[in-house]
Amino acid sequence: MITLKNVYKSFDGNEVLKDISTSFEPGKTNLIIGRSGSGKTVLLKSILGLFEVDRGEIWYNDRDFTKISEKERKFLRKEIGMVFQGGALFDSINVEGNVRFPLDMFTEMSSAEKNKRVEFCLDHVNIEKQAFKLSPSEISGGMQKRVAIARAIALNPKYLFCDEPNSGLDPETATVIDKLIQALTKEFQMTTIINTHDMNSVIEIGESVLFISKGHKEWVGTKHEILDSGNQKLDDFIFANKLYAQMKGK
Amino acid sequence: MGFFFHIGRYFALLKRVFAKPEKHKMYFRQLFHEIDSLGVNSVWIVVIISVFIGGIMTIQFAYSMSNPIYPRDLIGFGTRDTLILEFSSTMLALIMAGKMGSNITSEIGTMRVTEQIDSLEIMGVNSASYLILPKIVAVVLIFPFLFIMSVFFGILGGLFTGPLAGVVTVPEFIQGLKFAFVPYYITFSIIKSLVFGFLVASVPAYFGYYVQGGALEVGKASTKAVVNTNILVLFFDLILTRLLLT
Repeated sequence: MITLKNVYKSFDGNEVLKDISTSFEPGKTNLIIGRSGSGKTVLLKSILGLFEVDRGEIWYNDRDFTKISEKERKFLRKEIGMVFQGGALFDSINVEGNVRFPLDMFTEMSSAEKNKRVEFCLDHVNIEKQAFKLSPSEISGGMQKRVAIARAIALNPKYLFCDEPNSGLDPETATVIDKLIQALTKEFQMTTIINTHDMNSVIEIGESVLFISKGHKEWVGTKHEILDSGNQKLDDFIFANKLYAQMKGK
Repeated sequence: MGFFFHIGRYFALLKRVFAKPEKHKMYFRQLFHEIDSLGVNSVWIVVIISVFIGGIMTIQFAYSMSNPIYPRDLIGFGTRDTLILEFSSTMLALIMAGKMGSNITSEIGTMRVTEQIDSLEIMGVNSASYLILPKIVAVVLIFPFLFIMSVFFGILGGLFTGPLAGVVTVPEFIQGLKFAFVPYYITFSIIKSLVFGFLVASVPAYFGYYVQGGALEVGKASTKAVVNTNILVLFFDLILTRLLLT
C-alpha cells in the first residue's frame, strides 16, 4: 500500500501538485489520469523520489519515503519496478542483458539461476527466445515496453510504476500491454500505479482511478463509477477522449 | 554566478562519483568495457596523428635551423623535447578532449534524455558512480600509455620523414635524440597526462549528466564540454608547468 498525505510540489514558485492525499492498494491496477500538464508525471516521480516534495508525506506501507535516509531509500528502491514512457532500456546491452542487469547488480544468484529468472520474466511478457540477443534498437516499440516490464519485475518488486506504458503504441498492442500489467499485478500482488491519459486503459484495467487536474485531486473511484462521477472536469476529460477515439475510429 | 554554480555542482557530482560502489564486480566489468571503447579505440588516431606531427616537426625544425652555425643534431633533440614536453601530453589531451569528451557527453547525455539514468536511480543504483567512475579510471589509466605511444611514434615519424625529405640524416637525428636527455621530463609529462585524463573524462561527464531536453541539447552539451575541457587542459598545463618545471 502506498499512501500520500497532503503532498505539495512546486517548481520555481509554480505549484504543480497541490494538497494531494490518496492511497494506492496492492493487487490492484491504480491509474492516475489527467490531461497533459496536469501533474501526473510530477506526481509519479515525486512518489518515486526522483523529485523531492515541498510538503507532505509519502508512505510505502509503514515507511515514510520523505523522512527515511538515502541508504534506506536505496534499500526501498530494490522493491520498486518502473516502466518508463519510452522504455528506457539500456542501449548498450541486449534484451537479455537488460533484464539480467538488476539481478547482476543486486543479487548473489548463480549464473544458471539468473538465466532461469531472465527466461521466466521474458516468457511472462511473451518475448520469444529469438529476441533475447537482440539490442533494444532492433525490436519494436511494443516489444521494448514488454522488455521494460520484464526488467521491472526481475527483482520481484512490491511496487510497480508505469508512466504512460502504452503511449505510441497501436490500440491492439496497447490493450495487450494493459492486460499484461494487470495480470502481473494480480499474480505477484504488487501495488501498481499507472500514469495514463488513455480512456481505453481506464475502461480495460481501471480498478482504482485517480483523476487530477492542474495539480489538484479531483476525483477517485473505479472504472464503473467514472461515468457517474458528477465532476465536470472529469466529464470534459472523458468527452474529449471519446471524441478523440471516435475521430481515430473514422 | 553561473560559473560558481557549475563549479559547485561539478564537485557535488564528483562526491557522488567517488562513493562506494554497489557491486565491485559490475564496476570492473564496466571499467574493462570503457578501457576498450575509450582507450583501445583511440590507439590508431594517436598513432596517425603522432607520426605526422613528428614528421612535420622535424621538417620545421630543420628549416628554422638552416643556418650552418647550428649543428643538425639539434633537429632530433628539438623534436624529442617538443614531443615529450608539450605535444604528446597537452596537444594529445586537446585532441582526446574532442574524441573521448564528445563521446562521453553524448553517451551520458543520451542516457539522461531517454530516462535511462532515472531508470538506474529507481533501481537503487548510484548512476553517477556507475556511469562516470569507470570512465574516469579508464581514461586516467590509458592516458600515460597513449602519451608514451605518441612520443614513440612521433619520433618514428621524424626518423622517417627527416631523411626522406633530405633535411637530416638518420645518425644525426639519433644523435640528437640522445643529446641532453632529462628523464624528469617524462615524469613531468606523465603527471600532466594523469591530470589531463581526469579532466577529459570528468568534465564531459558532468555536461552529459546534467543535460536537459532532447537530441539538440545533447549536441550543444557536447560542444560545451569539449570547449570547456580544452580551456581547463590549457589552464592546468600552465599551472603544472609553472609548479613542476620552473
